[in-house]
Amino acid sequence: MKKFSFKDPIQRREFLRGGVRYGMLAGLAAAAARAVSNGGGRLADQTCTNKGICDGCVEYPACELPQALSARQAKAAPNSGGAYEEILRIPGSDTPSLHLEIGPDDRLYLATGNAIIVMSQEGVREREIALEAQARCVAVAKDGTLFAGLRDHVEVFDPKGARIAMWESPGPRTWLTGLAVGESDLFAADAGGRVVLRYDLAGKLVGRIGEKNEERDIPGFVIPSPYFSVRIHPDGLLRVNNPGRHRVEAYTFEGEFAGAWGKASGLIDGFCGCCNPTRIALLPDGRMVTCEKGMPRVKIYSITGEFESVVAPAAAFPKNVKVGPGERSIGASLVGVAAATDSRGRIAILDHITGEIRILQPTALGRV
Amino acid sequence: MTGVGALLGKLAGAVSPKATVWQIDPAKCLRCGKCADHCVLEQSAVKCVHAYAICGYCDLCTGYFGPEPTELNTAAENQYCPTAAIQRRFVEDPYYQYAIDETLCIGCAKCVDGCNRYGNGSLFLQVRHDRCVNCNECSIARVCPGDAFVRVPVEQPYLIKTTPTTS
Repeated sequence: MKKFSFKDPIQRREFLRGGVRYGMLAGLAAAAARAVSNGGGRLADQTCTNKGICDGCVEYPACELPQALSARQAKAAPNSGGAYEEILRIPGSDTPSLHLEIGPDDRLYLATGNAIIVMSQEGVREREIALEAQARCVAVAKDGTLFAGLRDHVEVFDPKGARIAMWESPGPRTWLTGLAVGESDLFAADAGGRVVLRYDLAGKLVGRIGEKNEERDIPGFVIPSPYFSVRIHPDGLLRVNNPGRHRVEAYTFEGEFAGAWGKASGLIDGFCGCCNPTRIALLPDGRMVTCEKGMPRVKIYSITGEFESVVAPAAAFPKNVKVGPGERSIGASLVGVAAATDSRGRIAILDHITGEIRILQPTALGRV
Repeated sequence: MTGVGALLGKLAGAVSPKATVWQIDPAKCLRCGKCADHCVLEQSAVKCVHAYAICGYCDLCTGYFGPEPTELNTAAENQYCPTAAIQRRFVEDPYYQYAIDETLCIGCAKCVDGCNRYGNGSLFLQVRHDRCVNCNECSIARVCPGDAFVRVPVEQPYLIKTTPTTS
């Protein structure tokens, strides 16, 4: 074998070429290693190591998952942590609770087990209305008449809790998850039929709102799971959540589409996951309260759909955030949270996993 | 002698275990990802399966798309699955069908995590018995943090999710 000599110009040239070649390769490898170590991988490569709970998680400072981004934004947002303050927490029971409503008398109406429990906002039980089955939604008229949605039909009770009517079911696919009562109408959000049903107060079905209709420019509701609610807004229009389209829609009582707002996003001003918001409620001034599952949180939007503030972030529901909608949660049929509002702008939040009811009132920041 | 033989045969039948196989209980699975790494086979015998009856056929499927996708399309950078094992097919506006290609699925449970965290939970992991060699001591079962690996009768080798957990 010929001995290497640096004095030989040919050998020197080959030596230098080889050095440059391998030096370039080494440099590329170093650059790639740096990119990977700096988190140059796709966001999709990250997985949560703390079941969605950012508080106390060691990965949180550098985490880029939506939960962490949302938590950081919530802390940085001017109204976060200051718009509403919790004033009371009513403990839950072992019986799953499916719905919470606040009546015009500012009392809480909790649909739990085969009953509706009426209580004050201090948590004092006043009466219990027995039902033949679970109620999934409740609405209370100004005169105290109570309307309960039992899976596929509506039942009506007088202010003392005696049943006075049982309305006919619209059909086998009916799955009522939201009710709203007005002066002369009752609107029922049917998650199974993907339609809002309009009844007169005698129980006659007089209209169907929101069914897909290209001629009327109605896109139709996308309801992958039984989270569907309807509210009567002070402006005279209905507000309905369309979770599969990640937005809140407005309709006239006659069913004309009147607009929509909302977007899909894990960030603080959007609706996370595949199908949110799950429920909506209305403040006395017309601003909207939205509830989400997956990353359970309650937020407030303006009348025109601009994000305003967080009422309760995901971190406020540590047990709830561990249980995704697709998991079996012992004792709970639903996941996420539900919210209702009273005449003073207070918000009551029902945590489906723990059964707790939290009463929150607006702070100086939260008052309009 | 015949009687003794018959007695011994009866005793042998009484003590021999019923044929069982390993399976994952979807209710206990924590979607930790260890099924992909700990199977003795080069490609894990655990695959994702899809319960179509539970699926919402969502446009924005959180089992298919990673967090904050740039666009709702099949581009690789938007998919959660590291091997593109989920096939997305348009059905009608705004519904899409999602099917698992088991030849590509590695059982990492990323899609299962996304689906169960935000969606209806129609995606879940199961041991596929056309692949599983039915080890006496399953190496995945040994490390499963949720104790989700159970022995089931060979006559009913799968634990299928049939209804969503919400009611």
